[in-house]
Amino acid sequence: MKKKTVEDIVLEIKDKSELMVDLAYSSLIYDNKTIAKEVYDLEDLIDNLYHNIQKKTLEGVRNKDLSIDDALTVLRLAECSEKIADAALEIIDVELRDVELHPILKMSIRESDVVFTKVHVEPNSILCNKTLGKLKLGSETGMLIIAMRHHDKWLYGPNKNTMIDPGDILFAKGPEDGEKHLIELASGIANEI
Amino acid sequence: MKEKGKRSIFGKLQRTPKWKKEEFSELEYEPTSVKELLTEMKDISELIIDLAYSAVLFDNKDVAEEVKFLEVRMDKLNYDIRMMAMMAARTKEDAEQLAGILQVAEAAESISNAAGDIISLLAEEKTGPILPKILKQADEQLFRIKISSAAMACEQKIGDLRVESETGMRIIAIRRGEYWIYNPPADTTLKADDWLVTRGNDEGYSDLSKFLKGKLKALE
Repeated sequence: MKKKTVEDIVLEIKDKSELMVDLAYSSLIYDNKTIAKEVYDLEDLIDNLYHNIQKKTLEGVRNKDLSIDDALTVLRLAECSEKIADAALEIIDVELRDVELHPILKMSIRESDVVFTKVHVEPNSILCNKTLGKLKLGSETGMLIIAMRHHDKWLYGPNKNTMIDPGDILFAKGPEDGEKHLIELASGIANEI
Repeated sequence: MKEKGKRSIFGKLQRTPKWKKEEFSELEYEPTSVKELLTEMKDISELIIDLAYSAVLFDNKDVAEEVKFLEVRMDKLNYDIRMMAMMAARTKEDAEQLAGILQVAEAAESISNAAGDIISLLAEEKTGPILPKILKQADEQLFRIKISSAAMACEQKIGDLRVESETGMRIIAIRRGEYWIYNPPADTTLKADDWLVTRGNDEGYSDLSKFLKGKLKALE
């Protein structure tokens, strides 16, 4: 396996922290504790990565691969992403608490400019048995799949090679007109992407 | 487009007040619904991260100023939502549920503070090109595109062009001279010389930029 560089780790922390915020908001909309718990697990991962990057940058400075200024900048950026991840944790804390969610919470997140949606992939949908990389849902419908339920397993931040099977449940975010298109595709009504 | 409160800063053309002026202005009590406040806070929390990264990526002080303004605005919204929530609580059950709302609001504010920290990386001398170098490797990237007067997109609405559903590129803000439109709604008309801050992948960017530079007649 290729060794991760400092750059790779910063990017991973940045991407994962943004994913955590998306998942945290959608856990509130769907009042879904499973998604919320996943945010917890991602936080562990981020903590590890953060620890890792601190070590790596210091090593980089010692080996003179990185200048002190660059190392500081990288560490500060990672710290910002870490703070964003902590904020996501604060959000899901509300979901995991034993208090019923205030209806306003769901309403205000739904009214936002970006919509979160949950779609069920029917057996006759043209999405079945194709990889996300091939479908290019992002550039064709504007909807980004942030998580999916796949054979009783949850996948968070699926990648190009992730295959969609009949019965999968997709969680996506994007514009309102994209949402309709995605629902039609998944339910087998529309056959053209 | 949904009905937005009169105070909301999203989806309309506006000149951003200087953030310093905004920060030291008096707080005035204006009754606004908790829902409206929270929606705006959530929208800012998402927009501000993208803007902060793009300020760093393009080494752009103007975008950084917008981030500072949004950060100040977020502080105010957080203050307002606390007041509104306190007035709404009558029973212990109310208070428990409202505490959840305030916690989400607080989280949105923490996110905007983190965005403020990101742009402070820009303010320092010699951050050097390491950050743009890193950020350019992300799958989903931020791009800036200027609309050429030769483009078919001029004087057309974003919704009619179906920019996001055709290219996957989300327009997060438009800059028109000294004015800004955040999260432009579908009925926003694009004009020549607008700068768009967009988010998406390389492929979408290449299509959209060709279109907006007038090299492509239509988005397919």
